[in-house]
Amino acid sequence: MLSSFLSNYRNVASLAFIVLAVVLVEFFEVRAAIYPSLLPFFEWLKYSSWIGYLGITYGSVYATVQAGHLISMAIIGGTVLVTDLRLLGVLLKNIPSETITKGTHQCFKYSLSVSIATGIFCAAGVADKVYYMPVFWIKMLALLAGSGFMFFIKQPLLNSRPHSEIGPWTLRMLAVASIFIWFTVAATGRWIGFS
Amino acid sequence: MNDSKWDDRTIAAASSSVIIIGALLYYWAGEVQSTIELLELAYGSLKFFNNPMVF
Repeated sequence: MLSSFLSNYRNVASLAFIVLAVVLVEFFEVRAAIYPSLLPFFEWLKYSSWIGYLGITYGSVYATVQAGHLISMAIIGGTVLVTDLRLLGVLLKNIPSETITKGTHQCFKYSLSVSIATGIFCAAGVADKVYYMPVFWIKMLALLAGSGFMFFIKQPLLNSRPHSEIGPWTLRMLAVASIFIWFTVAATGRWIGFS
Repeated sequence: MNDSKWDDRTIAAASSSVIIIGALLYYWAGEVQSTIELLELAYGSLKFFNNPMVF
């Protein structure tokens, strides 16, 4: 019976496993135990790695890469808003939502890759500072959750069938969750900048 | 319940959306609450208007 449930509801079982893992990690304070051991890595990232050296030494390089980071984040925001507002029926109603979700996803993938690569560079330059910021860890958590949600939950469902066959409330909840989580990634990112 | 609509992917999508929206609402509500507490600590009471520190 369990094997039949796991084969029929693989995504639900994976989601339940992740939620259970998060609850156990918090309950047994695994996160708090791991946190101090990450400090040497962040110190190495800033003072010993070549990206940290570049970021600290050459302000122009840091500014240029950060501009790339902001532009890629802007593209992510644009693709997310266009896709999700279409799913909510707010804009581009004359274009099928299937066309928009497929078209924007390619752009989203490239922008996310650029933003992660440039984000690592930007974080390396201030690694000893961001390590102590709770908002930095919230951003990393939101980025991880948002990427997982996009690649393993949202896009597979939207690509699996015509959107008219998906419940309208499911589509709306997907869109709101997506906008909310990428808003959080952007807002916490700016919060790091102003801290 | 229609099996064709409530399949594995749909249930995972709906439940993960609820978890994400709930977790983020909880987080941002906490941030609003701590911001209000900081403002009250700074000004005694929270006044958006007629604040003696703002002219």
